[in-house]
Amino acid sequence: MPGLLQGEVLLPEGLANLLGLGGPLGEAIATLLAAFIVGNIMLAMTGVAGPWAKRKITAAFTDRYAVDRIGPFGLLTIVTDSVRLLSKELIIPTNADRPSYDIAPVILPASALLGFAVIPMGELGPLNIHLADPEAGLALVFAFASIASVSLVMGGYASNNKYSLMGGLRAVAQNIAYEIPLIVTAMSVVIFAGSLQMSTIVAEQSATLISLGGFSIPAWYAFVNPFAFVLFLAANMAEIGRNPFDIPEAPTEIVGGYQTEYSSVYFVLFYLGEFLHVFLGGAIMATVFLGGPAGPVLPGFVWFVIKIWAFFLFTQWARSALPRVRIDQLIEIGWKGMLVLSFANLVLTAIIVGVIA
Amino acid sequence: MIGILKGMAVTMRHALDGKKFTVKYPEEEPEVSPRFRGVHKFSQERCIWCRQCENVCPNDTIQIVMDDQRNGEQYNLHIGQCIYCRLCEEVCPVDAILLTQNFEFTADTKDEFIYNKEQLKNVPWYKGIDPLNSRNPDRGAWIGEGDGEVDYQ
Amino acid sequence: MSIELPDTTDVAEQSPEELAELLDELVIGRDDHLNAPGFVIKPDTVVDALSRLRDQAGFDHLSCVTAQEYEDRYESIYHLTKFADRTQEVSVVVPADKENPVSQSANEVFRTADWHEREAYDLVGIEYEGHPDLRRILLPDTWQGHPLGLEYDQDQPQVVSLREHANPLLEDQKAPGGSETMFINIGPHHPATHGVLHVKAVLDGEQVVDLEPDIGYLHRCEEQMCQSSTYRYQIMPYPDRWDYISAGLLNEWAYARAAEDMADIDVPEYAQVIRTMGAELCRMAAHFLALGTFALDIYGDFTAIFMYSIRDREKVQNILEELTGQRLMFNYFRLGGVVWDLPEPREEFFEMTRDFLDELPTAVQEYHDMITSNEILQMRTIDTGVLPKEVAKSYGATGPVARGSGIDYDLRRDDPYGYYENLDWDVVVEDGCDNYSRLLVRMREVEQSARIVEQCIDLLEDWPEDERNIQANVPRTIKPDDDTEIYRAVEGAKGELGIYMRADGTEKPARFKIRSPCFSNLQTLPEMSNGEYVPDAIASLGSLDIVLGEVDR
Repeated sequence: MPGLLQGEVLLPEGLANLLGLGGPLGEAIATLLAAFIVGNIMLAMTGVAGPWAKRKITAAFTDRYAVDRIGPFGLLTIVTDSVRLLSKELIIPTNADRPSYDIAPVILPASALLGFAVIPMGELGPLNIHLADPEAGLALVFAFASIASVSLVMGGYASNNKYSLMGGLRAVAQNIAYEIPLIVTAMSVVIFAGSLQMSTIVAEQSATLISLGGFSIPAWYAFVNPFAFVLFLAANMAEIGRNPFDIPEAPTEIVGGYQTEYSSVYFVLFYLGEFLHVFLGGAIMATVFLGGPAGPVLPGFVWFVIKIWAFFLFTQWARSALPRVRIDQLIEIGWKGMLVLSFANLVLTAIIVGVIA
Repeated sequence: MIGILKGMAVTMRHALDGKKFTVKYPEEEPEVSPRFRGVHKFSQERCIWCRQCENVCPNDTIQIVMDDQRNGEQYNLHIGQCIYCRLCEEVCPVDAILLTQNFEFTADTKDEFIYNKEQLKNVPWYKGIDPLNSRNPDRGAWIGEGDGEVDYQ
Repeated sequence: MSIELPDTTDVAEQSPEELAELLDELVIGRDDHLNAPGFVIKPDTVVDALSRLRDQAGFDHLSCVTAQEYEDRYESIYHLTKFADRTQEVSVVVPADKENPVSQSANEVFRTADWHEREAYDLVGIEYEGHPDLRRILLPDTWQGHPLGLEYDQDQPQVVSLREHANPLLEDQKAPGGSETMFINIGPHHPATHGVLHVKAVLDGEQVVDLEPDIGYLHRCEEQMCQSSTYRYQIMPYPDRWDYISAGLLNEWAYARAAEDMADIDVPEYAQVIRTMGAELCRMAAHFLALGTFALDIYGDFTAIFMYSIRDREKVQNILEELTGQRLMFNYFRLGGVVWDLPEPREEFFEMTRDFLDELPTAVQEYHDMITSNEILQMRTIDTGVLPKEVAKSYGATGPVARGSGIDYDLRRDDPYGYYENLDWDVVVEDGCDNYSRLLVRMREVEQSARIVEQCIDLLEDWPEDERNIQANVPRTIKPDDDTEIYRAVEGAKGELGIYMRADGTEKPARFKIRSPCFSNLQTLPEMSNGEYVPDAIASLGSLDIVLGEVDR
């Protein structure tokens, strides 16, 4: 199949080969198993990031010891925190709009997990962890990621709480404003690859850009077009709702935004969903700009994990140091600043590619 | 942009230099100054039952019960209600009540915080320190070492 | 090496006779206080008298409105002074009838009087005619009786039924007339309200149409408790608890200054130096926290600045713990001096303080890197929460809020006490009138306080050993003469903290009124945020730096 890394097969096929499953039923079972594995990998990473890594990182920035009591390096905190969160009382406000109130927290993590289905995560041993490779893979990922704003608005409206409503409205405004710069910027580098298929994008980036005294720097689009990289970084932070763009859940102004009225399991789903979206953003960035799972020595999957964790670290770093912008300033930056810049970037790239190629 | 980058550089510097400001309590016991005002310790041998402490307490935290012959029977101090202002130690002429540096005390109900004289006698010193010596220098301040008439009502 | 006193030569000074002449027919008697001449006027001539004093004599600062009840009458006292020259004061005493205590409201002349008179109505029972909105402010609306009046039974418990209050769970209705505004309650449980403050906000989308602070959730009857405690010892732990965010020594100084002036006690110089040093350390700690919480309001929950400022504050608290024995509720001042000399060995204490002062410039530079030079913060705080100078003066705003609006008013310099006039420091004034300038004022004040502490440490180190007198010779009970009244103020961490006391010959005050700076500062919040966005309103609230313990007392 064109464009796959070194002739590797996708995960369902790889699993079927490994386990010796044959025939349509065997393929179906392998597919389900593959989806299960991919989902669990991401959930496990979120599990480590949420209760543990986030606190350790924040503590490092603030000169404190953090979770280090339960288990080695405090890792068992993940277990205790999950138990604690899930055992809390589920309080549902009266007059909450029932089906939407319950569906909203499910949509958020679901949309992120769906997005992970098409991301090439590199190979680990005999398996290539890449669930599906449709031809319009990148567009699919963006489409899935945008479903998140539906969830935020539903949560905000259905909670029957003015703070949630404000949070939901802000979320929608922010997401719409930054959606376009995000996609346009991604498009502008994908022009180099010439295809929306994720594996093609990754494969094109493994070509060598320049050779510096023995080191060959691969043609990662972050090096080819750093301006687009920075733009995409900023737009991505706005899409996932992280500082300096964390207005939808600004805790000091609207208490919890769309999350205010959610407790226990629903809160866990929102929390998880938020981290999954951070990782999804990091995954898109890694695939489109940082060459996906490419890297020397270590297996591809490990590099991929390193890259999305680097993005996560970056958001935490920004969180500790940057104030949040006001909603009207945010919209202004989005529609006036980033939109213009990203379109200019796209046009310029198109011209350059048209002239050179 | 520069300001933003400067701010981010500061936090990253803090993260990377690995210095910690917090203390791993209870493995490391914090240092408290010798003047720190913690739970009270009462010494019945020294007490002369003058009731000055009860009089001066802003909170009515100290309750003293005397019998008919003006002998002291009960000395009750509610360490939960106390505001640790140290006025009782200050006015006591014989150093019978004194605030140790001990801040580690717990109870299950609020009423268990009412310490009678036995419990007050048994309050442990923090790290075994008797702070009276480091506070003695203030004794002369109001016990008539100034010049002029002092009113000993 | 002393501070430059303000140039008050061109501020007109009126003698009491001139003031009497100015007020002419309105004066029905004299009731001089220890700090100012007092003119008794009729209750329906308040606006006239106060406007004459403000417009013609230049008394543009209504510092405090005290209300009290005597056996035969009620009384409101308006303590006036001038922003340009704090040492000139005048009191306007307005008696009111015992049966029907009605007095004219001063709201037209000074906006400060709005909340002060509501408090007087609430606690004492005087009704103010012409007041725009005379409701209870500290106690719930359905409270019966006036607690600081004489007929109030202090021992009878009262159950307040909130069912007569507006039902918060009422169905949301569209207001008649089809307005598009939304009413939202910010607080009392809210991550950003610096305590239990309830703000009733009416919003039009994201813009604030009307803001009304509703206070009283932390009312602890401080004034009444001080009225049942003896001057000499028992009142002193209470001031720590007004502005409880590390400004304990500044509050204690307010009380100590008022009581010492009333009982005519002289504080030895050595004690003054120690008091100054302790007070400035407290001011630094309070400003660090103000910085941190302001950053928290704008940066969100995970900001590192909050932790850095708390860390610096912890260092100050360590020094104060060595000195006083406690980290927050110091109870260190006594009438006549301080209770303890510096801890032995003195060299260690000096070294500890000097180490802290040496690290301070790096810490302040860090704050500048992270906060003031951050473009996003500048976008958020410049030109938001604007409080024009004249409005601030009318509301009686003091402290960093006033100095951030260009008003050059600082009690340490204008009405000197302690050792301030012999030290070399500057008053920080910024002209921006917005949140950013208030932030800058606080940061620079930290540096100025560090200068003062350094000079005090040098003085204390070289002080001859036999002259280290920490407390004057004060009798064990203090009973000032009957009917002595005094109003004195100091520069607390948030502004002018004033105390009015009236003695009646016993060892406990008959009236103890606290003029809290945050109370008057909070009143400016609607002024600052009407028409602005919700995040800016929250930021303005943060920049006002209120402490509910002081607002509600």
